[in-house]
Amino acid sequence: MDVPETVATALDDREVAGKRCLEAGAGAGNATAGLLANGAERVYAVTDDRDHARTTRRRIGGGGDNDDGNDGDGWDDRGDRLTVLESDLRAIPLPDESVGLITAHGLCNVLHPATLSAVAEELSRVAAPGAHLVVDDYDPLPDDAEIRELFAVENAASELARGRPALTFYPAAFLRRFFAGHGWEFERERTLLEPVPWTESHVSAHADLAAEAAADCPEGPADSLAATARRLASEIESESVGRMYSLAFRLPG
Amino acid sequence: METRPLGNTGHDSTVMTFGAIALNWLEQEGANQLVEHVLDYGVNHFDVAPTYGDAELKLGPKLRQHREEIFLGCKTQERTYEGAWRKLDRSLNRLGVETIDLYQVHGLEYDEELDAITGDDGALAAFREAKQQGLIDHIGLTSHGDPDLILDALDRIDDLESVMFPLNPVVAGKDGDEYDYEAVLARAEAEDVGTLGIKAFAGGSWPPTDELPEADRPFANWYRPVTAPDEIRERFDFAAAQGLTSVVSAGDPKLVTMILEAAADYDGMDETAQRSLIERVRHDDSPVPEQLHH
Repeated sequence: MDVPETVATALDDREVAGKRCLEAGAGAGNATAGLLANGAERVYAVTDDRDHARTTRRRIGGGGDNDDGNDGDGWDDRGDRLTVLESDLRAIPLPDESVGLITAHGLCNVLHPATLSAVAEELSRVAAPGAHLVVDDYDPLPDDAEIRELFAVENAASELARGRPALTFYPAAFLRRFFAGHGWEFERERTLLEPVPWTESHVSAHADLAAEAAADCPEGPADSLAATARRLASEIESESVGRMYSLAFRLPG
Repeated sequence: METRPLGNTGHDSTVMTFGAIALNWLEQEGANQLVEHVLDYGVNHFDVAPTYGDAELKLGPKLRQHREEIFLGCKTQERTYEGAWRKLDRSLNRLGVETIDLYQVHGLEYDEELDAITGDDGALAAFREAKQQGLIDHIGLTSHGDPDLILDALDRIDDLESVMFPLNPVVAGKDGDEYDYEAVLARAEAEDVGTLGIKAFAGGSWPPTDELPEADRPFANWYRPVTAPDEIRERFDFAAAQGLTSVVSAGDPKLVTMILEAAADYDGMDETAQRSLIERVRHDDSPVPEQLHH
């Protein structure tokens, strides 16, 4: 699979070759692909979402259901260097001080503050002295962004259904100080995307999630939230707005 | 309009090259007007080929009128000495000019073709004779093919002065060697060979002809082009920002004015905006469903 520019840019000043790496929140396996392409000795792709685990296995290979992308130059052993772990990030099934590089690529925005705090502690636990941490995420959207309305509906449905927001956009300066508070020394910040292209596929994926959360609401506004999400998605279609940043940290030692 | 040195040819090409295939779709009067329009923007590099329908013939009148203002690129798909001579003579006749500034091997696709053109009886032998006789000034090569093949051509053809190849954000977002035209750009730059970008405005393939018959396509391009002014502008900016000498305009005359405007206004593109564009087209094109992130 192709390594997204965001991941390639976030990793291009990090030493990856020969390291045991962890992608926290594997999603579609984008950072995992970048870590393997850059010569990681092993990548643990950790996610609590079975579909994401399956997607990562299928895209990178090694999961037994690989059907493509594994026959080109340099791809042959990528499946062998990948371990997909289906696990809660607050209880990662790895020993203390066992990984040399951690990526949280687009992770923090799907963690509300309490979870973020627990996850950060767990990441610090599994990180070896001297380990790198790369945190890629989105600044809060500007007030006039149309897509804010869709995210607001997604958050409203999620709050009502599950008692927590679906998305929290933390400013770069916030996460910088937050991880520093967990013992990570800040090394650099760079802009990955500006503006951020929220394409039709992103917009419809978020509308789907909002509708899904709305369906879980016990009673009341479910239908209207789902309908609002659909309406907003078709009105917005796509929008390029906001900033995606990359923060790099290092653990002392 | 900004100009950039075309390798070591001594010519400074405008950052937009006019793809004269656009003339093929116009009557002569409209073709004349389009050439004047392009020249009004200061474009000084034109590219044509004998395979572009009547484009050579329709370019002829205005080309002859403005010969000194136009650096003329032409090309041939012939791979043999005799074939190349025949096509060069034909192009000179059809264009009605004494010389072609840049004569290019057109559409190199296979290793065997590279062997053929570099052989004793190959097209390049004809190119070199023609150069000695003053019929052409510089030798170039164009390819939509494998970047490795273009790199081989750069290795094997010492007097190659320009290469023309695809470069756009769709291609730039793909990792395989078969998409690595950035490597061609880097090598050409290192060897002071001029670089001309094609397919900058490609949005994707046309739907299969049983869904959309060729006659129902709204544009004359071989691919489905981007068509909104903002999209045209960012595609131009992206291609020009990669460091190409010049970006060749799209083949449909309806798009040319938008591309001229973009080229005239070009003043660079931030790297973050370049990545945003790569990301956007990657997701538009992605087979992976339900991605929330970038």
